[in-house]
Amino acid sequence: MKQLILTAALAAVLHITPAVVLVKRPDAVQALLPGADAYLAREVHLSNLDAHRLHQVVDWSPEDGVLTLYTGKAGATAVGALEFVRVDTPHGPIEVAVGFTPQGTVRGVIVTKATVEMKPWVLEAVAAGLTNHYRELKPGEVPRGAAALAGHTGSLAEYIAGEVDKGVARALAAYGTFYRTAKT
Amino acid sequence: MSYDLRRADARIKWLVTCLLATLGLSYVFGALMVSLYAGFTPERVAATYAGPEMTMPMPPETTMVVTRPMSMTDFARPETHAVDTNLLIQDTHVHVPMYGVIAAALALVVAGLSLQRAWALGLITVLFAAPWLDFAGMWLTKFASPHFAIATLVGGWAMGAGYTVVTALAVKQMWFPTKGVDR
Repeated sequence: MKQLILTAALAAVLHITPAVVLVKRPDAVQALLPGADAYLAREVHLSNLDAHRLHQVVDWSPEDGVLTLYTGKAGATAVGALEFVRVDTPHGPIEVAVGFTPQGTVRGVIVTKATVEMKPWVLEAVAAGLTNHYRELKPGEVPRGAAALAGHTGSLAEYIAGEVDKGVARALAAYGTFYRTAKT
Repeated sequence: MSYDLRRADARIKWLVTCLLATLGLSYVFGALMVSLYAGFTPERVAATYAGPEMTMPMPPETTMVVTRPMSMTDFARPETHAVDTNLLIQDTHVHVPMYGVIAAALALVVAGLSLQRAWALGLITVLFAAPWLDFAGMWLTKFASPHFAIATLVGGWAMGAGYTVVTALAVKQMWFPTKGVDR
């Protein structure tokens, strides 16, 4: 109840602006799973224990306790995996698409959604090369996009880079923990 | 009552006409926005407001994976725009006062029309009750039952109908008056 009241007060004060699509999901899929012609959605329904484990690592639980990872294949060859992660900020949600190579490293990161207010911050951060700093990260490593932009962009672009860092960290944790180990 | 739009100065009539036109424009875009984000059927409204909070599946005892094929069309499919509790609080906070101001402006126009008292009172009631019904439907859909989506639809259509009736009567009485009409 207390959280509800606090959230209500926060929402009333901050006036979150509408969400805008920066990159359409099909375009993000084509960019992060290049050449794939068949896709699978792997919905990982987390047990309480695993949800708690993930929460301890990245301070986050997926909506409804379900992680959805998409995999792509070109013929019989695996192209990689992809995850869309939502990060809730005091300014509204952003959505980050994180693509992985078959070897398990980050192939690329695309910010697919933001709010009207945050859009220019995202564009500034991306123009400053934010997403380049995530390439080849492996599960267990810490994304440092915000630190890389420090001093090179405005403070709001640096702030949003910190939020994108969170999204990438969640994707890395989810991919590293549940992509190969979960039972089917 | 001396306030009678039929006999008002042309400047007042023009003011009222401009107000109604402006509100009409905002209603058209309001309807377009509803069609984009919520839809005009009970099913779509329920999907928008009830959302996942209505179904809370129990987590499995062990983590399980369900795999299904996806096509590019599936990725392109528009996601249901879900309004969670936080957003609904914000929407209510922003919209309800504005709807009150709009209802008050339209009610002032009604007060200047040549209408039987009962009809005028009924029309004013509809103008204020419609947005209440609209938002009550959203909250009840979220926390009581998706079936209350119909209340949101009825409220929305009532807002549109109220505006249309007031505008039609006002324009007719101000600019195309007929003799022998008394209050």
